[in-house]
Order: sequence, then C-alpha cells, then structure tokens
Amino acid sequence: MNVPSNLAKSCSLATIIFWAVIAIEPIEFNALPFVILSVIPVFFCTSLVIVLTICPFFWTAKTKGANPVKVFKTWHPYYTIICFGISISVIVLADFESFIIAFFTSAFITTNQSWVWFAKANPK
Amino acid sequence: MKPLFTIIASILFSMLFYGKHIGLNLSIFSVLAILFLGLYQPKKIKDKRIVLHALAYLLTAVVVFIQHSSLAIIANCVAFFTLVGAISNSNTSIYVHWLNGLYTSIAGFFYRTFEVDSEAEKVNWKKDIDVVHWIKLIAIPLVFIIIFILLYKNGNPMFSDLVNMINFDFINFQWVLFTVLGYFLFSNISKPLTVEPATSTDLKINNDLSKSDSFSEDTLKKEKQLGTVLLGLLNLLILFYIITDITYLVTTETSSASALSNQVHSGINTLIASILIAIVIILYFFRGDLNFYSDNKTLKNLTFLWIGLNVLLIILIAIKNQTYITSFGLTYKRIGVHVYIFLTLVGLVTTFLKVMNIKNMVFLFRRNTQIAFIVLLLCSTINWDRIITKYNLNHAAAFDMDYLIKLSDRNAILLYQKKDDIAISDENKNRIDTKYRAYINKLNIRAWQEYSYENFNVELDPKTSD
Repeated sequence: MNVPSNLAKSCSLATIIFWAVIAIEPIEFNALPFVILSVIPVFFCTSLVIVLTICPFFWTAKTKGANPVKVFKTWHPYYTIICFGISISVIVLADFESFIIAFFTSAFITTNQSWVWFAKANPK
Repeated sequence: MKPLFTIIASILFSMLFYGKHIGLNLSIFSVLAILFLGLYQPKKIKDKRIVLHALAYLLTAVVVFIQHSSLAIIANCVAFFTLVGAISNSNTSIYVHWLNGLYTSIAGFFYRTFEVDSEAEKVNWKKDIDVVHWIKLIAIPLVFIIIFILLYKNGNPMFSDLVNMINFDFINFQWVLFTVLGYFLFSNISKPLTVEPATSTDLKINNDLSKSDSFSEDTLKKEKQLGTVLLGLLNLLILFYIITDITYLVTTETSSASALSNQVHSGINTLIASILIAIVIILYFFRGDLNFYSDNKTLKNLTFLWIGLNVLLIILIAIKNQTYITSFGLTYKRIGVHVYIFLTLVGLVTTFLKVMNIKNMVFLFRRNTQIAFIVLLLCSTINWDRIITKYNLNHAAAFDMDYLIKLSDRNAILLYQKKDDIAISDENKNRIDTKYRAYINKLNIRAWQEYSYENFNVELDPKTSD
C-alpha cells in the first residue's frame, strides 16, 4: 500500500478533472499560474479525504491480513453511494454552480480511482 | 457492434441533457435506457419481473412529461435504479435492487477493473471487432457525404439554405465532457453488477421463521409472562388515551388554526413514538421461538389487540388532520401527514401479518419497502400543486393565498383562471398575473428537450391564450 504514490496520482487526476470541467472558455496564458498554484489546495483536499476516509479501510484490512481486492468489493459500493449522495445533494443545493460541479465531480472520480489504485497495489 | 451503440447512446445523452432543464429529455432517455438494456441483456429483459419494472419505469417517464414535477423526477430516478438492479439479479429484494442499480450506474466502471477475465475480454474485443473495417465504414462514407454536400450546395440554393441551417455550435469541450459522462453511464449499465455479500445474503434469507436448536420451554414461559403483562398494561393505557381523545374530539370545538395545529402535531408525535415502540416491542417478543411456543395464544391476542388500537389511534389522527385541512386548507405538510398516516397503517398491517403467519423481520422490511416504492410511484402521478389550489379555492373555509402563489408554476393557469372568481386583494391579483405571464414566457422559450405536456396543452385553453 503506497500512500504517497496514490496521493500524487490522485492529486494530478483531481487537478486535471477540476480544470477540465471548470474551463468553459479556453484558459488564458495569464491564468496559468493560478492553474499551477491550484495544485496546492487540491493536494491538501485530496490528501485529507483519502487519508481520512479511504486509507482506514485498507489499514484495518492489512492488520487482519485481508485481501485488498476483497476490501474494495465489500466496502467500495457503500463508500461510493454515500459519496455520490453527498455530491449530488451539494450540487443541487448550490443550484448547479459550475465551481461546485467541478469540485465534486473531481472529488467523486478521484476518490473512486484512488480506491482502485489501493486495491490494485498488492492484489493477492 | 455494441460499443458503437454505447457511443451513439452517449451522443444522444448529450443532445438530450447538455445545458437543458428536465422535461421531454428525461422521458426520451427512459425509453433509450430500456432499449439499451434490452440490447445488452436480451435474455434478462424478457423476465416477467423485469418487464414489470420496465413498465413502471416507462410509467414514470410518461409522468415526468405530463406532471413535470420534482417528485416525478425522483420517482423516475428510483425506478431507473430499480430496473438496473432487477437486471443485476431479479430475485433479490427491492432494496437490494436499489443498491445494485445505484452502484452499477455510478461506479460500475471502477468495479469492472477487477473482473477476472478482463484480459481475456480485451483480447476478445480486439479479435471480435475489426477496428480497421469500422474506421473504413465510418470514415469513407463520411468523407464522400461531405464532398457531395459541398457539391450539391452550389447547385441548389434551397438545399444550400437547409445545409446552412445545420448548426454544430452546441459541440464544445464541455459538450464532449458531457458525452463522456453519458458514455460512462451507458457503459456502466451495459453490464449490471451485484454488490456482494449483500446480494447473496439476501438471496439466502427467506421470509419464514424457523425453530432454533436452543428451544427452551422454561425461558419462553418467563418471556411470555413478561410480554403478557407488558402488552396488557400497554393495551389498557392506549385504550384510556383513545377514550380521552375521542371525548376531547366530540366535546371540544376548536376554531383557531394554532390549536388545531397543536393537536395534529402533538398527535403525530404521539403516533410516531407509539407505533415505533409498538413495532419494536412486538418484534422483540416475536423474534424467535416464542412464535412456536404452544401457550402463546394470550400474548398473540394482546398483540393483535394492540395493533388494532394503534390503527384506531391512526384513524383519530387522520380525522384531526382532515378537520385541520377542511378548516384551513390543504398544504404539502398536511398531505405529508396523510401519507405518513397511510404508511404507518401499512407498517402495522405488515407487523400483524408477520406475527400471524410467523414471518421474520426481513419479511417486514421487504414488504414495507415494496409498498413505499409503489406509494412513491402513485404519488408522483398526481399534480399536487393543482389539487392543493383547487381544493383550497373551492372547499377550504380559510386558506393562505400567499402560500398558493408561492407554489410551483404548475398551478399558475388555474390561479389565473380563478383570480376573478375569488375575493382577493389587487396586489395578489397582480402577483397571480405576474406568475402566469412568467410561466407562459417560460413555456415559450423552452427548447424541445424541455417540453412537457403543458407545451401542447396551454395554447388550446381559450382563457390562457391572451
């Protein structure tokens, strides 16, 4: 279970998805530093969510010697349904505001992919 | 061939939903989803239960078009997840359908990365689909069609005008991303998943209780005595409460809204606590071997009596709520109270059936969720805003005009038609006019994807065409 590698990949994925969704107009050259700087808060958010909500499943499984793929198949459905419920609720409450859509879309896809990376790290 | 259908479906998904509000698009999507599922799961879609779920889903699609309400949209989404879940495994309970359907729709892609034969599938995909042939099949006709369109364009001005009308402005990066989202959704539902161990566990559990190996007459006798004393006292208490409640209803004349409101709300709180505790106590005593104890007749009779008295309590609350509605008009909250009362009644009836037919708790959960689903579908078929408005204007002794004006647009036409027949202030008449005009304007600027039944109906009404 390689947490730093997972965080790095997840952070990159979240940044790409976030800017892809939010960029209705092509991003101007002057705005590029902001895009690059946005990696910092994205990394902070991604790390916090992954370490606090996904890692505990695999850490607990590791201490019990359980198969990470089995952990994924058992717990990922409930995790992703709750995650989807929260994301949709906030998007609807925010009246489909583009920043909120971008944030929660990237969060949803990234957390799901992070589960896949953790489960595939050491499949038995 | 099938991946091509997924791509076509995802393009249609974008054409239907990108930058559009919900309307006709959701109804068309429902038909598209059923066709898509039928194409990918031809054997499963013939199953009678799945046909029934597909029909329920189609019904919600029609309701979305006709009613155009949030409740209809929610019912349509729930019916979609139920259908996808039923295709995953049609023999499971409805709540497992929801679990499987929801998980398949939102995260099937991630789950399928762990399929054992994924490598084999990749090989088969390459083998089965002749990529070069498909590229030729799409690209060559496309190139020639474009060339000939350009040639014909110069030869015929009418054809040229028609070609110029074709507008691809809607395609942009966001549109492409939205199409990817559509592809993600259709790709997910093409192979419905089962969430384990929830699905297999549900399939193993039937509705009947069976005698345990640790059946002990002594323990059961003590438990029966406790249950008899407890339920006997609770029966006396609820009987006393009901008598006082009936006396209060008959002898007291309440005319103020706040007093009636207090009565209904405190009654509802009592009902919630009473019914929940009643069901928990009944489930506790009839959780296992006491069902098979030969001397349990008194306890069973007391339980049935208690359920009956709770039904009486429900009827009293319904009468109070109806009195409240007759005096002060219909609102969503008051309809909600009636729905809650009905669902509580259903809960009590299923608890009665559980005890009488020696069923387990899963039976209760299965039946109650099925009925809740049916109630949701039925409730979504009704235009509540119109019913509330019509009832309040025609039957209620007093009503809140501000509440009616603030309801959704679905009562705009009725309010506009009735505004001259009811005694309301000029300010409220102006507000109704504004609401009506805004609504007609909204109908006129709708794109075809956003159409509802009203788009075809409103202009026919002579009173609304000015």
